[in-house]
Amino acid sequence: MTMTLKNKIESGQFVLTAELGPPRSSKGDSVRKKSRHFRDIADGINITDNQTAIVRLPSIAASKILVEEGLEPVVQITCRDRNRLALQSDLLGMSALGIHNVLCLTGDYQSFGNHPEAKGVFDLDSVQLIAAAKRMTQGYFLSGDQIKTPPHLFIGGAANPFAPPLEFRVLRLAKKIKAGAQFIQTQAVFDLERFAEWMKRVRDWGLHEKIAILAGVMPVKSVKALQYMEKEVPGMTISKDIISRMEKAEKPKEEGVKIAVETIQKLREIKGLQGIHLMPLMWESITPRIAEESGFLKEKKSSPRSEKSPEEKQHSREKGK
Amino acid sequence: MNKEKDFDELVTLKKRDLSRGEKILSKIMLFFEDLFKVPLFKCHHCGECILSHTGFVCSQRCPKRLRNGPCGGTRANGHCEVYPERKCVWYMAFQRARRLRRTSLLHRIEKIHNWELEKTSAWLNVWTKQIEPPTFIIRSDDDHDIKKQD
Repeated sequence: MTMTLKNKIESGQFVLTAELGPPRSSKGDSVRKKSRHFRDIADGINITDNQTAIVRLPSIAASKILVEEGLEPVVQITCRDRNRLALQSDLLGMSALGIHNVLCLTGDYQSFGNHPEAKGVFDLDSVQLIAAAKRMTQGYFLSGDQIKTPPHLFIGGAANPFAPPLEFRVLRLAKKIKAGAQFIQTQAVFDLERFAEWMKRVRDWGLHEKIAILAGVMPVKSVKALQYMEKEVPGMTISKDIISRMEKAEKPKEEGVKIAVETIQKLREIKGLQGIHLMPLMWESITPRIAEESGFLKEKKSSPRSEKSPEEKQHSREKGK
Repeated sequence: MNKEKDFDELVTLKKRDLSRGEKILSKIMLFFEDLFKVPLFKCHHCGECILSHTGFVCSQRCPKRLRNGPCGGTRANGHCEVYPERKCVWYMAFQRARRLRRTSLLHRIEKIHNWELEKTSAWLNVWTKQIEPPTFIIRSDDDHDIKKQD
């Protein structure tokens, strides 16, 4: 059997997950095409759920496409669009489709997207959603009714170490652990100092021993993208050093890759981290290069090859038909 | 693990049918509760008051109506991502809770809101044992973690 993301994290491996944004159409091939950049590189592929409140191919549908491709998806599920009935039903549905990794999020507010006039649901918040998912794996709905065949879920949550107040950010992580989260993916790190400070507090509380923390890394193409994020994405801090480096760079794309690789290398020195969550927004094709340069591929090659290959061969044969 | 007990921690007990007297009392109490809570706390009548756990800042003022802490969108100046001119409710809650030495209560996982209790009197709901009573007095040994960080 191949190692799942859960196995890898539980066995203490340093993992790499990557984020894939589904298309704003019903073109499933776009997901297939983008996912090729992650093959044999990412241990899990997050599929965003109507990110920034813009309608897209649903996370579960795109994840199913990845499963068909022999990849391992992580479904992102937000409380913005669903009430407790839909959330629980989606958790059952994904498990039935053979997708077991879920990232529970509150979701961006609807006014940021292309349907600002929509009604935001927010029936549950992310902490409660994590707790609800945990409860379901134990065989109970929120109503207290029993589930005959409970879903198998590997439950994750998000953390933003950069938004104030810093102490509450650690507390919220503790709360998510208490609720039943098994892994955490953080907001993109553009401010290593602040991240290290957050991690120090996390270690002081001993939280890194209870949960796998995956630090977010986002490669950027231009200084404009950085400035946009600093201005328009609340709760994001970007160190001045990175901005000035991108400004001065003659080849901003090269510099972007360099910064991402350096960030990963510095993050790996921080104690208590168990992986990197790569967010190559609209730039999926850069993933192999970043993985290569930051030393992820070497590790993969040195570790014994999984039995994935025969399956893959069979899969490509099927596709040939 | 006692699963039954866990449910109580996560979901509010079912709304029970009130007697006629209780229904009338509920309306009267809601009137007085509003007089007191709306000007003081900008109460949103959720009927499941957790003011005492959040440093006496109404968490339901949050546009996402979060009950378990701030979302990832709090701006660097402590303002809300949705309404940049307003302060983040949870940012205020944290500061006030810290001033009042009540941060230990922020560790609680607040229950999933029972919408059947919306626009009912929280005081009566405590009285009729539909929701948990507020926590006013905290034991000193409860106060851990964040205080340690101060």
